[in-house]
Amino acid sequence: MVVSSDAKELIQALIKAKKNLRIYPENNPVYVKTVDDIYARITGFLDYTDPLTLKFKQYEILFDGDVVYHNEEKEESLALFFFKDGVRELTFKKGIPRDEVEEFLRVLSVDFEREALDDDIVTLMWEKDFHYIQYVVDDAFLIDDETYEETAVSQIKGSSADTEGILKAYEDAIGTERAAKINVVPLTNDDLRSIIQEIENDPPDKTLNLIQVLFEMFFYAEGKAEYDELSQFMKSTLEYAIGRGNLETAVYTIRKIRSSIKEGLYDSNINIYLRGVEQFVNSARFINLLGEVLDNGVEFTNDLLYEFAVLLDKNAIPHLIYILGELKNISARRATINILSVVGKKDISLLARGLNDGRWYVVRNVIYILRQIGERNAIEHLTTAVRHPDKRVRKEAIRALGEMGSGDVLHILKGCLSDPDESVRITTVRAVGLIRTPLSKKILVDEIAEKSFREKSFNEKKEFFEVLSRWKDGDVIDLLVKILRRRAFFKRMKNDETRAAAAYCLGLMGVVNAMDHLIRLQGSNNRLLRENVRAAIKRIKDGKSRG
Amino acid sequence: MEKAGVNTEVDGKTILNQFAVVLRTGNFYDADNVAVKSAVEKFLNIANPAIEAEGVFRIDLIGEYFYINDTRVRYPLEYILNFDYLVREFRRRDLGSVIFDAPLGVDDVKAFLKTFINSIYSNTPFEAMEASLEETPGIRVEKLKRVREEGSLDRRKIVKKSYFNAVSFTKGIMNKLRAGEKVSLKKAKRVVESMVDTLLAEEQLLIGMTAIKDYDEYTYHHCVNVSVLSIAIGQKIGLNRRALTELGLIALFHDIGKMEIPKEILNKPTAFTEEEWRVIMRHPYWGARTILKLKGPDKISIRSALVAFQHHINRDNTGYPKLHEPMALDFYSKIVSVADQYDAMTSSRVYSRVPLPPDRALSVMMERTESQIDPILFKFFVNMVGVYPIGTLVLLDTREMGLVYECNPLFADRPRVMIIVDKGGKKIKGSVVDLTEKDSTNRYTRSIVKTLDPNKYRINLAEYLL
Repeated sequence: MVVSSDAKELIQALIKAKKNLRIYPENNPVYVKTVDDIYARITGFLDYTDPLTLKFKQYEILFDGDVVYHNEEKEESLALFFFKDGVRELTFKKGIPRDEVEEFLRVLSVDFEREALDDDIVTLMWEKDFHYIQYVVDDAFLIDDETYEETAVSQIKGSSADTEGILKAYEDAIGTERAAKINVVPLTNDDLRSIIQEIENDPPDKTLNLIQVLFEMFFYAEGKAEYDELSQFMKSTLEYAIGRGNLETAVYTIRKIRSSIKEGLYDSNINIYLRGVEQFVNSARFINLLGEVLDNGVEFTNDLLYEFAVLLDKNAIPHLIYILGELKNISARRATINILSVVGKKDISLLARGLNDGRWYVVRNVIYILRQIGERNAIEHLTTAVRHPDKRVRKEAIRALGEMGSGDVLHILKGCLSDPDESVRITTVRAVGLIRTPLSKKILVDEIAEKSFREKSFNEKKEFFEVLSRWKDGDVIDLLVKILRRRAFFKRMKNDETRAAAAYCLGLMGVVNAMDHLIRLQGSNNRLLRENVRAAIKRIKDGKSRG
Repeated sequence: MEKAGVNTEVDGKTILNQFAVVLRTGNFYDADNVAVKSAVEKFLNIANPAIEAEGVFRIDLIGEYFYINDTRVRYPLEYILNFDYLVREFRRRDLGSVIFDAPLGVDDVKAFLKTFINSIYSNTPFEAMEASLEETPGIRVEKLKRVREEGSLDRRKIVKKSYFNAVSFTKGIMNKLRAGEKVSLKKAKRVVESMVDTLLAEEQLLIGMTAIKDYDEYTYHHCVNVSVLSIAIGQKIGLNRRALTELGLIALFHDIGKMEIPKEILNKPTAFTEEEWRVIMRHPYWGARTILKLKGPDKISIRSALVAFQHHINRDNTGYPKLHEPMALDFYSKIVSVADQYDAMTSSRVYSRVPLPPDRALSVMMERTESQIDPILFKFFVNMVGVYPIGTLVLLDTREMGLVYECNPLFADRPRVMIIVDKGGKKIKGSVVDLTEKDSTNRYTRSIVKTLDPNKYRINLAEYLL
């Protein structure tokens, strides 16, 4: 026997569930427990009372004629929550599955105050098409004039049928013997297939179609107020489209604007507004939306991103740099970098302003983009970046200078060889190596000749020699052999490290003439030297010289 | 408004479809043919678990719809031909229900198939089936019950209320928009949901409402009529409930731009000047603008604006507004265009006082397929409203005259007709007859021989249909 107290408990549990489902995601144990609890309560109820019907008054919920809930608080009342949208009765039927209970609770937990929805609770329940939950609603509040039906019907019926007219019709009909023409048009399987195909191919995103219509509407617009209105519609459509991960609509729109202006389709006043739409795509608002979409994992093809980037103008650059620093998703950052690598070309100085950004990773990415663009006029902006407090930025700037520069940046790079960080110095050595001028070789050789060179780590030394090995000339070989033969009484270990690096390099270069010197050292007590010498000998014997 | 359903529907439609496949295949091939065998096996595989689970498995034909264990089966578009076949064949045999009391074997189904096929050669097919199936325990049949008329008054009341609520709401919206007030989309959705529910339950009654035209409130009635007819087409082509609501809502707003037409033009009783036509032809432009102003872009407002702009543009891109570049019409625009043209042609408007009779309007529309309206959607439309749509004045071969009262989606040329003049030429307040009824010699009792224009004779449809 179910009593009102059970119904009271169920209502309280529903109120709790309404809150819990708002707070917790569906994989959270509290969420799962809440759904389980309500499911158990409802099915338990239905074991004794089938169906379970709750009736709603403005501030009360009734079960079996008893008030089981009363709350006049506008914000909190569960009774009012249902009542205000016209729900008067809610019935749960036996056999209700857990899924349907969960769907119902999800509808219940919608925060109509916060979420700007065009749906009320009845619409949400209607869309769920519940099988075990029925509800009765009062639709009277939907219309302003409750007497409309009565008035309209009596008005329409007002002129009652004219007997004479009917009989005249009959007389006319009988008088002629013409048979009625019948056109039965049976539906075929092909018709069905064709319709199914049309439904399936109907794109869910209609923004591009609306943009097409808006372009047509410009032909019918009269006066600046209407032009402005239409351009605002276009902007909000583009905003809506990009918010849903549709970049094609923006690409189409800008292209169409440009071709329309070029072909003189509209008068010059309209063109002003169309240019405004074009600019909107370069705005912070649009670019930020693009960033959000990218960060949410939406991926665009490289071709589409390129098409889009080509259409942007320099005004987009600062906004793109801004989002580059905000994005959390690595593929989103990559996409933004790709866009900036295209649009950045339109104003290198503007792009280079990103080097002043307080976020080291933004600066590094901007340098990377400048590297990608590869224009020499970026070099002047990079020279300061080699002194950036963050070593990752310095390395990127050095790499960029190495790739983009020529002899004119060597003096900057030379300074970087004294960077306090070894990895930066190694990057510098490589960058110097990329600029294959006599001066770059000299810088490396001079550095090796420095007394302090011996103190460097084996890796750094090896890097020097490896880079140097690209110059396969006698000077370099002589230097290497000389180092290989150099003996030391103090700091022998460090000296052997340098010799090992030289041996490694001779091996890389495949210098046959150095064989004797190498063989002499293959029995060295220093393991590092011994191993590198043996590797070099083998390499030379095998004829595996580099390049 | 009450909404419910039972979960057997999901499997029910598949079982019912396979049942139709068995009968159709069996009609073409011998029972031992591999195609029949395979169809029977497939049927048994899906039907037997349901029979076991439910104990009794009833297939009932009530009105136009099948019910499985008292739950109406909503069938998807791909099944529609099979379901139509099943309805037709059940009716031909006066068969109302097939009841499976126990899991079936191959021989049981074969026995049923044989009985079903042979029964059509009997003068009393149902009785022949009933007798023959006595030897097949586990399968029973029941005779087709005519849809009870007692409840029809109530059903009519509910449908009428739903329809006039929608008209009243539309009028309210238009007035609010004119006054620059906010309108509630939530309420609009609720009104359309109610229409969708009504249409799914009482399609013919709601379509019948669209035949009643109100000259004074034409614009509001027209919006609702186009919405109802669009939903009905949508249902025929298999759109789901949510899509039907969207379509209904979008169709309801298709003529919202007419609000901008000055009343002196809209209500002008004489022919329009060229300039006045130019103003009228701007309403699609105004419609799209109004919708986009009313609501920022979202799924519904975007499509509503498209439809408002495109509903007078033809398939070949002629019509108005004149396009400067080719444009593919939205699918919903094509649906709304069919509904719009039909309702406009059959309505008495200020600028076109004499409406076309429904069957004549269909003929005109038929001529417009290919260049103006979508031919396949038009076919669906005709199959829905019938060759003689509701409100058509017809002379029968019995020398009775009547108004088409309800269409029969399965027999497009055999609607239900309200007799208003008897065979003696006397005006009567009519009974409704079904033109699919046959006499003992299996010949139709009544057939249409001629249609007439009810407007020409000033016959007020509302008096009969409301």
